[in-house]
Amino acid sequence: MRKKSIFVAFLIVLAFGLLSVQGLAAQKTRMIFMTAGDVNMLALGQNVFAPGFMAENPNVQVTTIHTGPGNAGSQTIFEKLLAEKKAGKTVGDVDVALVHEIFMKWAMDENLLQPYAQMCNTWKYVTTPFAKVDLGVKVEGYVMPLFMSQTAIAYNPDYVKNPPKSYAELADWVKKNPGKFGYNGIKGGASGVAFVMGWVYAETGKYQKYAVTGPFDKAEVASWEPVFKDLKEFNKNVVITAGNVGTLDALNRGEIWMGPVWVDMFFTFMNDGKLDPKTKLSLPEPGMPGQPMFFVIPKNAPNPELSRKFIEYVTSPKVQANDIVMRFNWYPGIDGSALKGAIPQATFDKIYSDVTPADLQKKGLAFPLADYYSAILESYERWAQ
Amino acid sequence: MTTVHSSSWGERKLPPYILMLFPAVAFMVVMYLWPFITSVAQSFFLSSGSDKSFTLANYVKVWELYRKDIVFTFGVTLFNTALVGVVAVVFSVYFRLRQNRVSALLSAIFKLPIFIPFVVVSQMMNSFLAPHGLLNTALAQLGLVDLQRPLQLFNFAGLSFGFAWKQIPFAVLIIHGGFQMIDNSYIEAARSIGAKLPSVIVRVLVPMNKSSIIVALVLVYSQIIGTFTLPYMLIGGKTPTTITVDIAHRVNYFRDFGVANALGVCSYILVLATAVYYLRSKVKEARQEVSR
Repeated sequence: MRKKSIFVAFLIVLAFGLLSVQGLAAQKTRMIFMTAGDVNMLALGQNVFAPGFMAENPNVQVTTIHTGPGNAGSQTIFEKLLAEKKAGKTVGDVDVALVHEIFMKWAMDENLLQPYAQMCNTWKYVTTPFAKVDLGVKVEGYVMPLFMSQTAIAYNPDYVKNPPKSYAELADWVKKNPGKFGYNGIKGGASGVAFVMGWVYAETGKYQKYAVTGPFDKAEVASWEPVFKDLKEFNKNVVITAGNVGTLDALNRGEIWMGPVWVDMFFTFMNDGKLDPKTKLSLPEPGMPGQPMFFVIPKNAPNPELSRKFIEYVTSPKVQANDIVMRFNWYPGIDGSALKGAIPQATFDKIYSDVTPADLQKKGLAFPLADYYSAILESYERWAQ
Repeated sequence: MTTVHSSSWGERKLPPYILMLFPAVAFMVVMYLWPFITSVAQSFFLSSGSDKSFTLANYVKVWELYRKDIVFTFGVTLFNTALVGVVAVVFSVYFRLRQNRVSALLSAIFKLPIFIPFVVVSQMMNSFLAPHGLLNTALAQLGLVDLQRPLQLFNFAGLSFGFAWKQIPFAVLIIHGGFQMIDNSYIEAARSIGAKLPSVIVRVLVPMNKSSIIVALVLVYSQIIGTFTLPYMLIGGKTPTTITVDIAHRVNYFRDFGVANALGVCSYILVLATAVYYLRSKVKEARQEVSR
């Protein structure tokens, strides 16, 4: 008898406990922000975006979930959303997702996303062509870019007075200055990969087809042999550096005078005192690839209004200026000119003096479509090595 | 004998202590044997596309694109194993025969690289061996090198230096241990009939310590073949490069586990040769023990 009453009392306490937890949760709306990318993206969500957004919206609890680096991380998000759709789940778990370009191709095919971007109060700042058509997929209205990571040629102005304006000029320069241009090949990091993609765009003149419209034409691959033979000739006079960091280090030590780098790494190294502050950037014709990361809202997002509010917050000139540009040295997802008042003129001049917002719009290219991407890398191994 | 054994097998109860083996064996099966088998199996199938039939396409691609790298890996490994072997024997002999404060201090310092992870060694070598790195600038200060034309060490030479720096102490640890087991009387006997130091080493110390030298060499050899960070951070994008860098490339950029596994199988074969040699010599040794 006594045992039974204790048990009942326990149940009552438990029930009240559950109710009160439920009550607390009801006061705060839970928001799930799911991000692909390296661990720095998790830190960005947890330490920067979530606290900032919650300070402005005290009734919201933002939880950041991290799925892992590279396309694989985006794929995990895609699989989650696809599973929800297949299970007929009308109210899903994810409020906002941050994804790579390739995700858009998969998700648009499966119709997993809702159009929201044009309703954002920050839409007017979005000028990048990536937010319209990306990897050949029409994404306009479905994405807001968080940032752009861009590659460019870094050079030491002590030795290079007039940096080459195009890939062709660069090839001439390398002939005259053997051993003074360095890149990391294609196995040592993506700045070298981006350089090679730019080389193929320059020599074939088929950027539109390879990166935007497609479709993949396997027979075309054989026609690239001369393109890569030229690159092989070019490679004879260049230094292959040890990775993305290797190129920056070699520039800093004066071993090479020029080399392709990720712009965000370039400025981070400079701010940390690991790169000579004289070093400058240039984007040769026809341009070099970069990549954005996109915010998307799943079709079955529990609180689409709130999702949009979160994205508006992160794409606002204030956050873009303070966190994306000044703290992490990416190019902003929104148009650079919108930041003019929000960041110190000196910072603005620094990031945009060598490569202007106009340059970025014209020469900030995309990486090739997935099939072309693989085919180009393999052709490099076949003919340029 | 064997027939009796097998017929009684059915009724015989396994001793309970055999269960103690289970965790270790299960761990080996799940963590080593199973991945090894699936890795070999996957190398015979394409990792993308709908065609799921048995194919040698992955090996054809390995032959077309990576045969140079396989030869290079084998060359680097063989050269460094030999280098490490010779240098480690010389140092071990020194530590064995000269037991004073200097050698004690040296052997303590000598052990340090064993505790430094490869990735740290790689970063170190990266800035030490760079064209304008510590080594070249130091040599330039001494007037031995012109910084406009510095020593280029991000290649076979630098890679060998890195491997030697990391692996010699490890090999010394094993080989020196073996030398310690040899009684002084053998060395004294050899000396008393007029043997000079080289013949003491070659005809007494090394033959008596053969097994630990082989163990050291086999371990060094297989470690070098499997090392990713040092080649990646020193010669990453250059050609030729090592198998491990190629595997990472196939996985990172193509998600092509088929070719990556085929490359893996090539490195298993390279390692297998030494493993077989090692096992054989062990079996031979055991037989000699028995016949003695």
